[in-house]
Amino acid sequence: MELAALPPLPDPLVLLDTELVRTALLELGLLAVAGGLLGAWIVLRGLAFFAHAVGAATFPGLVAAEATGASPRLASLALAVACAGAVERGGRAGRAPGDVATGLLLVAALATGVVLASDVFESAAGAERLLFGTLIGLGGADLATSAAAAVLAIGATIMLGRSWTAVGFDPEAAPTLGIPVARADLLLLALIAVAAVAALPAVGALLVTSLYVVPAAVARLLTRSVRSLLLSSAAIAAVQGLGGLYVSLWLDVPPGPAIAVLGATAYALCAVGSALRPRPVAAPAGAIL
Amino acid sequence: MSAAVSAARASLGYGGEPVLTGLDFAAGTGTTVCVLGPNGGGKTTLFRALVGELRPLTGTVAVAGRPAYVAQTDRTRLDFPVTALDVALMGSLAGGRWWRPARGCDRQAAGRALERVGLADAAGVAFGELSGGQRQRVLIARALVQKAGVLLLDEPLGGVDPDSAQRISTLFAELRSEGRTLLVSTHDVESAHAFDLVLCLNRRQIAFAQPGEALTRSVIEETYGSELVVLSGGSDEPVRAIAVQHHEH
Amino acid sequence: MDLVDTLLEPWRSGIGRRALLEVVLLGGICGALSFWVTSYRLAYPAESLAHGLLPGLVIAALAGLPLLLGAAGGVGLAAAAIALAARDERIAPETATAVVISGAFGLGALLALRPDAPARLEELLFGDLVGVGDADLFAAGALAVLASLALAALHRPLTAVAFDPVTAGALGLAPARVRLALLGLLAAALAVAVQGLGSLLVLAVLVAPAVAVRRRSASPLQAMLAGAAVAAGAGIAGVYASYLLGIAAGAAVALALCLAAAAGSALPGLRRGAAA
Repeated sequence: MELAALPPLPDPLVLLDTELVRTALLELGLLAVAGGLLGAWIVLRGLAFFAHAVGAATFPGLVAAEATGASPRLASLALAVACAGAVERGGRAGRAPGDVATGLLLVAALATGVVLASDVFESAAGAERLLFGTLIGLGGADLATSAAAAVLAIGATIMLGRSWTAVGFDPEAAPTLGIPVARADLLLLALIAVAAVAALPAVGALLVTSLYVVPAAVARLLTRSVRSLLLSSAAIAAVQGLGGLYVSLWLDVPPGPAIAVLGATAYALCAVGSALRPRPVAAPAGAIL
Repeated sequence: MSAAVSAARASLGYGGEPVLTGLDFAAGTGTTVCVLGPNGGGKTTLFRALVGELRPLTGTVAVAGRPAYVAQTDRTRLDFPVTALDVALMGSLAGGRWWRPARGCDRQAAGRALERVGLADAAGVAFGELSGGQRQRVLIARALVQKAGVLLLDEPLGGVDPDSAQRISTLFAELRSEGRTLLVSTHDVESAHAFDLVLCLNRRQIAFAQPGEALTRSVIEETYGSELVVLSGGSDEPVRAIAVQHHEH
Repeated sequence: MDLVDTLLEPWRSGIGRRALLEVVLLGGICGALSFWVTSYRLAYPAESLAHGLLPGLVIAALAGLPLLLGAAGGVGLAAAAIALAARDERIAPETATAVVISGAFGLGALLALRPDAPARLEELLFGDLVGVGDADLFAAGALAVLASLALAALHRPLTAVAFDPVTAGALGLAPARVRLALLGLLAAALAVAVQGLGSLLVLAVLVAPAVAVRRRSASPLQAMLAGAAVAAGAGIAGVYASYLLGIAAGAAVALALCLAAAAGSALPGLRRGAAA
């Protein structure tokens, strides 16, 4: 196997001098907040596949927007929210018969995107940018969307966190606690859809889970209460984003794959470490929100 | 005395198909009701309707206030990162403002509820690490924080160690004397004798009366079909029997 | 003459002929297999394995090895990784799979998108029916023959276990092993089909045909034969669409398969007999 010689490691301080890098840093930081907080709920409520599907489903919308000059944000938002609505209508984001339908819908969405892309893009690079993200061209609008996603994630976690936990813990008893379960869950799905759209420019349609599921999964291996899960998840997402950005600049690859590989590696290390260590018997007293 | 839990000529089902018919009963405050029947006979369906998750196909089903639901222990997630205190605290969501973070007085109420069920020292233990009986007690603590007047318990004593079972039974007596109404589903015929009222279900309401009247041989046989081992008792006398249960694999 | 010309166009070139043959062979065997894939609820595992094998494809492409080798290795590694990631009971299998797939996509893209890497990632993701060579056709043919023999041999156990795993177990049919055999067939089918349809789209050929025919099929054999026919037909339609409309062949085939599934779902079901 041919091993291309690796380029030299760039100096972080030099990198920070460029506006491109500073913008990317800010963007990834905001996405880390959104992705870390929402990721905790995604992991607790078993919505990992949904998070991936909602990102991938936007691909044809992104291509079409590029072709027609429409706003990619609006196009992807429309598709993502439609996805959330469909999932909510089909009951919880559960599986069994839904697997086949969702799988085929995803294939159809991706295939449609490819078909459109061959008309829209000169080379494959355009489609790859939409699928795996880019550092170039991240602008004020992207930052604003990510900031909105972060703010929404924080607000929703404070207000709905207890309800989401109670529903996840005991869905049958949740209605007796006065929680409007359907509405609370729909809000969660919608929020994930909006936040996924915010992540598309930076990490791409195929790798939304790299920031929205993997950091939270790593945090889940390391924490024992919901509050610490939320905080660690955001912190890990930030570190992952930062590291991924650096690797992306070093190897000249899109940020999405770099972040994803770092995240998966972190998970692997924590999973191995967790398996080797015996689990403690009693947990420290920690209250949820 | 107005009923705490009642059903009037109700039938319940899914997708238009009835699975439980002929429901007609009423239980007042401060009463314990044993809901007896085989698996698949409709006990959980009844509870779903009482919780409000299932609308009756015909007739009405009514509960005073919002009931608390204590599901079978293996249904609640054991891998959720919540402590016993966290679970008890969930009861305070019922205060009406579910979008607010928990307050200090909520936490105190949760602590007191855990004391009441004898689990004050286990407040910080992860729920999944408690024993089956302890988990049941934590869920009952949640119901106490919820200030529910009616408690629906789905097979609370299944697979529970004798010490916990004893504590839980004592708790039932205490809750009853406080004026709460308990509906406890079980397939254990023997335990039904300790309740105020017995409701026998097997796809339809077969009997609703005090144990002496309800637990006759003919009623029990109708409820359980052939899955029965009768220990004593004749056709119209109170009978002691054990039901043979088939568990799904 | 125009119509005949159009119909003959793909046949005129070696590329077109090979593409058509490939989709017929693959469609045939995968269409039949799709009945079992859906009956055993293997759609999600199939998708996970299809996505997880991407790094194998990329490494094979970079190293100049046959893609089939990379795909086979990729499937094995993906399966192992998913099994290991799900071992901690705090992490649900779905979450663990998402982590593995995220890492696999990332690794594949990382290796393939370096500026000096020659690998054509788009073809690995979305298929390369245009580049079908004789070796690929041979692999597809071998898969078709061997898998057909396996399905024939396993037919009764597969049916019994699908219908009632507990009784089948009591009859000594070892449901776990039957399921494992099916997974093996699935893995082999994925490894061969992924070159034509790509890691992201190959799921269609292993799931859509069953959906398209299940409402009108009265027996497993009917479903398998009908599925094979539908898949082969969709494949041919896709290749023609690709020629006539100038669109990517793999995507065209995938869309044809999805349309067939949608159409099949809209059909009324077979009337149940009195003995139902």
